[in-house]
Amino acid sequence: MVLKSIKLSNFRLHKDTKLEFSDNLNYIAGGNGQGKTTILEAIYYLCTSRSLSGSPDSEVTSFGCEFFEVGGTFSDLASNDVRIYYDSNAGKKSMFLDDKQFYRASGIIGRFPVVTLVQEDHAITMGSPGDRRKFVDSVISQASSAYLKILIEYNKTLRQRSFLLSQIKENNSPKLFNQLSAWNATLVKNGSELIRHRLAFIERFNEYLSNSYSRVMESKEIPAIHYSFHDETDKDKIEETFYDKLSELKDDELRRAVNLVGPHRDEFYFMINDRELRKYGSQGQHKTFQIALRFGEFFFLKDALGKSALFLLDDVFGELDTFRAGRISEYLKEVGQAFITMTDFSKSELLKRTGEDLLMNVSGGNVSYA
Amino acid sequence: MQIAEPLQRAIDELNKLPTIGRKTALRLALYILKSKEENVTTLTNALLALKTDLRFCNTCHNISIDEECEICKSTRRDKSVLCVVEEPSDVIAIEKSNEFNGVYHVLGGVLSPLSGKGTDDLNIDSLVKRVEHSDIRELILALNPDTEGETTALYLARLFKNSNLNISRIARGLPVGGDLEFADQATIGRAFIGRIKVE
Ligand SMILES: [Zn+2]
Repeated sequence: MVLKSIKLSNFRLHKDTKLEFSDNLNYIAGGNGQGKTTILEAIYYLCTSRSLSGSPDSEVTSFGCEFFEVGGTFSDLASNDVRIYYDSNAGKKSMFLDDKQFYRASGIIGRFPVVTLVQEDHAITMGSPGDRRKFVDSVISQASSAYLKILIEYNKTLRQRSFLLSQIKENNSPKLFNQLSAWNATLVKNGSELIRHRLAFIERFNEYLSNSYSRVMESKEIPAIHYSFHDETDKDKIEETFYDKLSELKDDELRRAVNLVGPHRDEFYFMINDRELRKYGSQGQHKTFQIALRFGEFFFLKDALGKSALFLLDDVFGELDTFRAGRISEYLKEVGQAFITMTDFSKSELLKRTGEDLLMNVSGGNVSYA
Repeated sequence: MQIAEPLQRAIDELNKLPTIGRKTALRLALYILKSKEENVTTLTNALLALKTDLRFCNTCHNISIDEECEICKSTRRDKSVLCVVEEPSDVIAIEKSNEFNGVYHVLGGVLSPLSGKGTDDLNIDSLVKRVEHSDIRELILALNPDTEGETTALYLARLFKNSNLNISRIARGLPVGGDLEFADQATIGRAFIGRIKVE
């Protein structure tokens, strides 16, 4: 799948920008605050209906404007048009696929898969367990709409159950306990499904990760993600373990009115040569790991979905040494279509560019082809 | 510009209805304003009749004209098979599928602590009494396959665990997180035929 063209209106600095893209690598160069990352953000909007940086729609609208609009044409087996329109007076976003309106982000997620490598990725290896869960969830959700649906239901179950726990804390009635046992059953059912999906995913993904890692960094280091649900190795016993843990922590849960057991508390351990990256990794190992995770995600999704995701790389070359920058640009040739922003194009000689690649310069929200 | 008070009042009331936003409320209010008075009277009476001429069935809590609804009164329905649903709209959807000839029990919602719905807020006590006092063999739990529907079905299945009831669920064929009310007739029909026993 490739993105052929894009059109932005009142989208941050871009009052009216139309771009045609190369099917290969698209380099977008420009100084800070000139609107180059905004192009990645707009592409991300088309694929997910949301902002890449997590900004609310109102913030994305150019100052003083009544709406923003992003449109784009994807080409796969057939051609598809996506359009996102935000009315800032009504605070309302409308989304269209081939001029037919759809109402939920889940209507589009996974259809136009997208992989991003951004500065904020440092949180995946350095941040909290929640950052790692978010990474894992976003990859599996793009590969499996079933997973996304269960995840949404599971999160609802968590909200319902913690509210019920706080009701029980106030009023210790047997009726509420009967309801709690029904919510426990739903929690365990949906939660165990998620855990089994995650186990199967990590098992497959580790191979993609180590492949990508060795491509980015020529070394004997072996990366891996370790994951288990309370050390339960038998996939058929997840439910049993889940119930055991629930009864073990029952008093704590009631006292604190918090869900203490389940995949929302999972930890994914990132390892290099069996040593935990978060504790022992160097800056360079962290960076390589982050890059390998995203390349691994790209090739995993390609196999899982049978189509290439759009690969968005925001300013990654700036902080890399010449050796790794060269290796990554070599590796990118296998990706297909990618969108790569850079602040400084003087380093461009170390990129292995071909004639099919496109170079754009962005300044003050205006784009020119170089 | 100041909107005349009666118009503003009509807009505010229409705006309270589900799926009606401010703009649509304004459009409807202006449309009604321009309509013939007799049409407006007909509309008003039709709306009022919903409250004065309709009630909920004493037995199954479905919408009814009399104390007991047409389905409960019918001699052609199989009274030994009871289908439990969330809302009267689900009864309408299932009736359209023509796959079900038993009777219903409308819970009036599902368990949802966040919306303040516990077991006492649903028609569960009357369901227990119905099961105790009539010859019901089979209970079909036709609740939506979202987390609240699942939990309510599990709760009911446990409640009747020690009875001799045959308990089944229709969920297959309906998308997870989908709404029974919006499923097409064929899907509901398939779901009934493929209902699964609850342990
Ligand atoms: Zn009735």
